[in-house]
Amino acid sequence: MKENETNWSQIPQKGPVGRTVWQAGIFAAYFTQFIKMRLAYRMDFFVDTLAVSFSMVIQLAVLSTLFSKVKALDGWSFEQVLFIYAFSLLPLGLFNLVSVNLYRFSDQYIIQGKFDRVLLRPVGTLAQVIFESFNVSGLNEILLGIVVMTYAGMKLGLDFGVQELLALAILAPSASLVYMGVFLTITSVSFWHEDRMGLAPPVYNIIRFSRYPITIYSLPVRIFLTFVLPFAWVAFFPATWFLGSEEFGRLALLTPLVGLVVFGGSLLIWQRGVRNYASTGS
Amino acid sequence: MEALIKVRDLTKDYRLTRKREGVTGGLVDLVRPRHELLRAVESVSFDIPAGQMVGYIGANGAGKSTTIKMLTGILTPTSGTVTVGGLVPWKQRLQYTRHIGVVFGQRTQLWWDLAVVESFRLLKKIYEVDDATYERQMKLFDELLEVGKYLHQPVRKLSLGQRMRCDLAAALLHRPRVLFLDEPTIGLDVLAKENVRIFLREICEGEGVTVILTTHDLGDIEQLCKRVIIIDKGRVHFDGKLDDLRRRVGRQVRMTVELRDSATSGELASITAGLPVVWEEIEGLRHHAEFNRVEVPGAEVIKRLVNELRVSDLHMAEPGIDEVVREIYRQSGREAS
Repeated sequence: MKENETNWSQIPQKGPVGRTVWQAGIFAAYFTQFIKMRLAYRMDFFVDTLAVSFSMVIQLAVLSTLFSKVKALDGWSFEQVLFIYAFSLLPLGLFNLVSVNLYRFSDQYIIQGKFDRVLLRPVGTLAQVIFESFNVSGLNEILLGIVVMTYAGMKLGLDFGVQELLALAILAPSASLVYMGVFLTITSVSFWHEDRMGLAPPVYNIIRFSRYPITIYSLPVRIFLTFVLPFAWVAFFPATWFLGSEEFGRLALLTPLVGLVVFGGSLLIWQRGVRNYASTGS
Repeated sequence: MEALIKVRDLTKDYRLTRKREGVTGGLVDLVRPRHELLRAVESVSFDIPAGQMVGYIGANGAGKSTTIKMLTGILTPTSGTVTVGGLVPWKQRLQYTRHIGVVFGQRTQLWWDLAVVESFRLLKKIYEVDDATYERQMKLFDELLEVGKYLHQPVRKLSLGQRMRCDLAAALLHRPRVLFLDEPTIGLDVLAKENVRIFLREICEGEGVTVILTTHDLGDIEQLCKRVIIIDKGRVHFDGKLDDLRRRVGRQVRMTVELRDSATSGELASITAGLPVVWEEIEGLRHHAEFNRVEVPGAEVIKRLVNELRVSDLHMAEPGIDEVVREIYRQSGREAS
């Protein structure tokens, strides 16, 4: 009998680069499967796409009506506010794309027991949960965001060069890490408390506050959105960098750091949750 | 040869929260929850060499699933150790799960809405199965399980038996060296059960896969496992060859006899005089006869009965797994006292 028949610990493992490449491959495979699955229910897919396109048109209409009445907001011009609003849709879209299963986590994975199966596969637990379903309407939000941002940017006379595009490619994903971190923390609670606490919907609603310049809010709200529930970092701070704001533009550069800290912290909580699950089997 | 699976003093306690009654009780629970320890598995030890097929049996709530969950790395034990292939399941999860396959009879691991083949492709990617191995395995599964027929059907449209075949194939796609099965034949009809058993025998004997299965079905054990571990209330009560188990429990069978004319238990006993048969009257014309098949040929009992009496119906029942477990438990309780 060969040595590694009874001793598997000798079998070499992947390095960090190999792991990342492999994980990316799995992500792609899951995504392809998801699209195929959606296409299997062809009617649903069309209805969905139609509904999302429709809601995009409505959102645009609401925006233009709102801002046809309001010319400026606490020193921010209509176009600037519109730009911030549009920017906020990018990280939100990215987050919505991968976060569906976080909302279903308690119900499907803990109560219905799908998490057992997650633990039986040689892929990271969070990666599996997130990759198993997507919300395609996130793509529409991203598209809407880009369209409106371009429009507002043109009106403001901002020029978008390589530097700006690079900043966008870094700031938008970093900002979505803030969302991810906040909601992953909330999701992790279900490792300890089976009954859903219903914390996610109210927090999700607070996201709306983050789409406008935070200077319009009172000081406590500003502090809350900057440090406690750091949604000021998902749109306002990073967007002001593009607007050339002296005051907040520099804070924008902290966005990747805030994103990493919030997300990193939530990962630790998640891992603790997984350990708790493994010891209680709930 | 060194054992592939080593389990030592494995113990698992669950902490249960006992809820108090009423609103005030609920409030008190928030501040000072009452906990109760439930010992699901208690110092279980065994070794399993590579290539063996072992039946892990016990009644509901005996601790079977908890043990399997610890062996597969889903649960962390309260104390004790497990190594499989030199790895600790719950500590080296990512490394370990590449070498094992797991099937839970009650749940599918396939993607519900996808065609079966899509699930296989996804698993191929996850376990990094190379093309040659994939082809080889698919050919094997088609020969033994005829999965080829269902490859392009969505999982949700498969019957339970078809789904189980596909689940078995999915669990073995990456050629794991150990296969864990939790109730693999539950809910299957006779034919489907037989298919699964033939396949498992082939996988174990032909491919050398070590198999641990939990079951309620004595037929699974009798046809598949040379070795049986019986667990009850979290403890191992028997670990040995199936033949030894049979000898120890005997083959107690219960025959139900329905007569046309009434007869007392005493009269029936005199008919089977000389044979160790215990008679019991159930109601009116129906009687139970209990005897050990090893000692008493069933045909002899039947012959004597039909010669002497007018019998309208006969039925023989083998003991279920629960009865075997109870018998073993009763015996080890007696030994302990």
